[in-house]
Amino acid sequence: MPNPILLIAVALGTAFLLGLLEERRRRLAWAISLAALAFLSWVPATWLLALATGQAAPVEILTAGAPPPFAINLRLGLAEAALTLLVNLTGLLTTLYLKDRLLDLGRRAMAVLLVAVMALDGLILTRDLFNLFVFVELTAIATAGLLLLSDDARALAAGFKYLMVAQFISVLLLIGILFAYHAGGTLNLDGLAGAPSVLGAGQGWILEAGGGFAFLLMFVALVAELKPFPANGWALDIYESAHPAFAALFAAASGTAALFAVDKLLTIGGSEWLGAATAIGLATFLIAHLCALPQDNDRRLLGYSSVAQTGLVLVGIGQRDLLGDRYFFVAFGLLAAHAVAKAGLYWLSGLMAERGLSAWAALRGQPWLILAFASFLALLTGLPPFPGFYAKWELIHHLAGADRLAPLGLILLGTLIEAGYLFRWFGYVIKRPPPASAPLPCPIHQALPILVALVGAWGLGWLWGELSGQTQLLLTWPLAFALLFLLLEWLPSWVKNTLAIAGLLAFFAATYDYYDPLRLIFALIFLVGGAIILLAGYATSGQRTGFYPSALLMYAGLAILVLAEDSFQFFAAWELLTIGSYFLILRGQAAEPHALSYLLFSLGGAFLLLTGFALAAQGAPQLALADLGGVPASLSGWVFVLLAIGFMTKTAALGLHVWLPGAHAEAETDVSPMVSGILLKAGLFGLFLLLMHLGRQQLYGIELTHVILWIGALTALFGNLLAAFQEDAKRLLAWSSIGQMGYALFGLALMNHLGWLMALMFVINHYIYKSMLFLSLGGVAKRTGTRDMYRMGGLITLMPLSFIAVLIGIIAISGVPPLSGFGGRWIFYNAILDTEARLPLVILFFAGPIAFLYLFRLIHTVFLGQLKDEHRRVREAPFWILLPQMLFVALLIAFALVPGVALRQVDGYIARFFPDGGLTWDGLSIVSHYGYWNPVSIMLIIGVIFMVVFAWLLFVNRRAQKVKQFNIAFAAERPYRPETTHFAWNFFAPYRKALGFLTLPLATRFWDTLADLLHAAGDLGRRLYTGNGQTYAFHFLAFASGLILWGLGVRP
Amino acid sequence: MPNLTQIALATGFGLILIGFYGALTRRSLLRIILAFTLASTGVNVVIVAIGYMRGRTAPILDEAVTTTTAVGRIIDPLPQALVLTAIVIGLGVTALMLAHAYRLFLRHGTLDIAAFRELKW
Repeated sequence: MPNPILLIAVALGTAFLLGLLEERRRRLAWAISLAALAFLSWVPATWLLALATGQAAPVEILTAGAPPPFAINLRLGLAEAALTLLVNLTGLLTTLYLKDRLLDLGRRAMAVLLVAVMALDGLILTRDLFNLFVFVELTAIATAGLLLLSDDARALAAGFKYLMVAQFISVLLLIGILFAYHAGGTLNLDGLAGAPSVLGAGQGWILEAGGGFAFLLMFVALVAELKPFPANGWALDIYESAHPAFAALFAAASGTAALFAVDKLLTIGGSEWLGAATAIGLATFLIAHLCALPQDNDRRLLGYSSVAQTGLVLVGIGQRDLLGDRYFFVAFGLLAAHAVAKAGLYWLSGLMAERGLSAWAALRGQPWLILAFASFLALLTGLPPFPGFYAKWELIHHLAGADRLAPLGLILLGTLIEAGYLFRWFGYVIKRPPPASAPLPCPIHQALPILVALVGAWGLGWLWGELSGQTQLLLTWPLAFALLFLLLEWLPSWVKNTLAIAGLLAFFAATYDYYDPLRLIFALIFLVGGAIILLAGYATSGQRTGFYPSALLMYAGLAILVLAEDSFQFFAAWELLTIGSYFLILRGQAAEPHALSYLLFSLGGAFLLLTGFALAAQGAPQLALADLGGVPASLSGWVFVLLAIGFMTKTAALGLHVWLPGAHAEAETDVSPMVSGILLKAGLFGLFLLLMHLGRQQLYGIELTHVILWIGALTALFGNLLAAFQEDAKRLLAWSSIGQMGYALFGLALMNHLGWLMALMFVINHYIYKSMLFLSLGGVAKRTGTRDMYRMGGLITLMPLSFIAVLIGIIAISGVPPLSGFGGRWIFYNAILDTEARLPLVILFFAGPIAFLYLFRLIHTVFLGQLKDEHRRVREAPFWILLPQMLFVALLIAFALVPGVALRQVDGYIARFFPDGGLTWDGLSIVSHYGYWNPVSIMLIIGVIFMVVFAWLLFVNRRAQKVKQFNIAFAAERPYRPETTHFAWNFFAPYRKALGFLTLPLATRFWDTLADLLHAAGDLGRRLYTGNGQTYAFHFLAFASGLILWGLGVRP
Repeated sequence: MPNLTQIALATGFGLILIGFYGALTRRSLLRIILAFTLASTGVNVVIVAIGYMRGRTAPILDEAVTTTTAVGRIIDPLPQALVLTAIVIGLGVTALMLAHAYRLFLRHGTLDIAAFRELKW
């Protein structure tokens, strides 16, 4: 094992050695620096491996051969090894990245860089307070020096501002250390803490005169190094103006070392300071995220994000009393996620010529950089399968178990804001036009660090999965399969499509035995249904870069979801499918804002789920889904509310629906059916599980299922109403989905046997007809080049198969016999006869006829009427888009004829929960206690009636003369806005006049206002950072005095 | 009657406060740097004052103070050592600040701290 003192010695020695080199031997100097840093990374790496595998024990390094307090000692344990590795590796990669700049500036810059790395290592290793001070000062000096690496002239001022604050910090720290020595008689951290490495033991000295005050001063000084709000203006200026490679080092390595220094200090302070750390961390986390919202400068935005992330780690440190032996898992998880992601992002920023966020669209020139960017963002926001995800899961569970609900809520709120600005940025990268300048330069010495960060991100994800004690997500088949497609991007899309379809079907076949009847239905829709829709993917040629990893990620989430046995798997799956579908939706042409609002609503919903699960688990790391029913009565109402709102976000219940129309309508032709026909069912699946295990719940005397009943009814009404007033065919379908989900919600909330059966019927039906309709109208839109219905018409002869699909689809939706929609209605009518809720029932009935309005409009204005002149040469939709539609037609008819195949098993399964009121399956008839339904005879009767009327029409019209569209004379001028004179435009104007007040976008306005308020708050908050160094110094003093006054209050 | 330690402590803290006040109110970079040197001098005085023990001698081992009697006769050498280190570090930081100030002056032609506000918000 190499002696850890080499970490200090080699860095310092090399720095001096560089001074001996000739100034012109710059390449040599650079090579020596690289070699030294490589060695410095190798040392902690070997130690980390040995310590983690138990082959070595933590060592104390006695610098002067004497034990403390007679000499300074350093310690290398697991934590120190991991952190120094992180620091030195970042140093190595930064030196590599800085090649050009360092060769320009020569050996002095390299020496300063080495000293900076050495100082950070020292901060981590030392166990001596005064030594700590020395390393803090060295870090400050090196930082101010390295700022000059930047070619941004403003960095000079940033350096001065930093030095000013550093001086204040140094004064406080030094006085604190001296008083601590005075009170405790030693400068050794372990000596001051009483016993080595035992947390919270023997803090007698701190009670003595001056001891508490001394600690307070040191605490203030070291916490100030973490850039706490409001004393962090200097750090933001550094982040903005420093060379991005140095900003990477500053964020990843300096932040890490400072955090560990605070952690060490807290071991001597006792647990009452943990609360202060938590409060400071939370305030910083939230406010920095808020201030990041209005940023347009990439580096400053990343600076705010860094400050916030450091705050989050501080919150983690503040929970060490709670986390016990999971402390390092959580704190390191958060820290590693921040460090790797931020280093990677700053390195990426170094490639960009311009500072605006949209300039990052240049990344599109190199798809692997997009992957890196997405991975870093996911790493920062704590999405699976990255370490932050596992760490946050545990943190939230511990917080919920200890009833620390305020930090829990604030952490999730901050994370949501963070996801907001980070993924808005991702949207820019994918959708905005790239800057006109030359393609992105990416020389090898700059690409390599980014690549290492990318590999590191995924490697850490794997490691944290191993350490978590939870399911290793990266090794689950579905996720591994989805990630495989990242490596197969070079293949043509038809190969990938075939592989994807085969994968979905194979997974379904392999897991077939695991499903109970209810899960089987959902698995069928998710996997087999997904495969059917993927058939439409053959219509796309080329490579279709990015589509398959995203789609398969969503399907992976769905596959894990339906198999999930505990809350962790369920939640991880939920987030996976959310991210996957977000990437999918974002592919649509004008989808940028809609994809973002989809993601934010989904993540918000997911966080509610997380909170609900954490509350239900009561401090346990996870909860078997089957045990959800065992939640104590005092909590179960709240758990129910949280989970229900979370799931209803996905089903787009009224009020939470604003993301849906845009997201579903703007998605690509074959993506719309995926996110509508399949994805919405994930929410219903969750609601099924919730109601199955928690049943009826009350909160403050309100029957919660009754509330859902109302929401369902209103959602159905408004969804249908708004659908009727859309001009855009796909938006019409999207609004119709909202309405349909309302019906399903209503059925579930009826809490009786038939209600659930009806909801399930909706699950199946909605999948089939909505997928079919989105495909056929997508095909029409593809051929006609518009989605506005008034621009279409008369397409029946040109696109007959699409017409048939739409016809069958709307018959099925409207619930008239003979198709399966009627079966749904029949069960529905039976179900509501069993319930007492009359008023929501009336609303739901009222919603029914409105559905006829929009369905009629759909088929009438698109396929009937006059053909538009410009569509005279339109062809039928591509074969591969038609094929799934025809399959759906067959499925619909089959399901209409023999619904028992699917429903009978489930009927029996539901009987476990509601033994009464089931159906009797008597041959082809289905009998309830109100009547019976025989699908086959209905089909026959309708068929006969239809044929008779059709034959009669043919007979009476046999002499009618066919009139061509243009055999009359047209006159008059073309009106200024042709659509206003078209009958299909504003089709239901009279209804709008009557009911228009119901269609005011109140929910949209509410959410928009909320977003505006957050933005305004962020914009106001950032004005605090005036740019004046004295203001920053004043902020620091205000922070310090506030904390000191508070601290004196704690220990008078 | 205040003893030497108290006087030294009061002087030290006084210097620190004067330094802080100056750093917050003067607008010239040079004066700010000067204010910080005052403050760090104050800190050094405080350190020495804390390490001082009445009636003892300097921590130098010679004929008068042998290794056996040292524990009882010399003052605590540690704060003194710390002051030396702190002075060195203070020098380094001051030099760096001066270098920054000089280059800021070259670039902007002024030493007014309020002039360097391009980075904000």
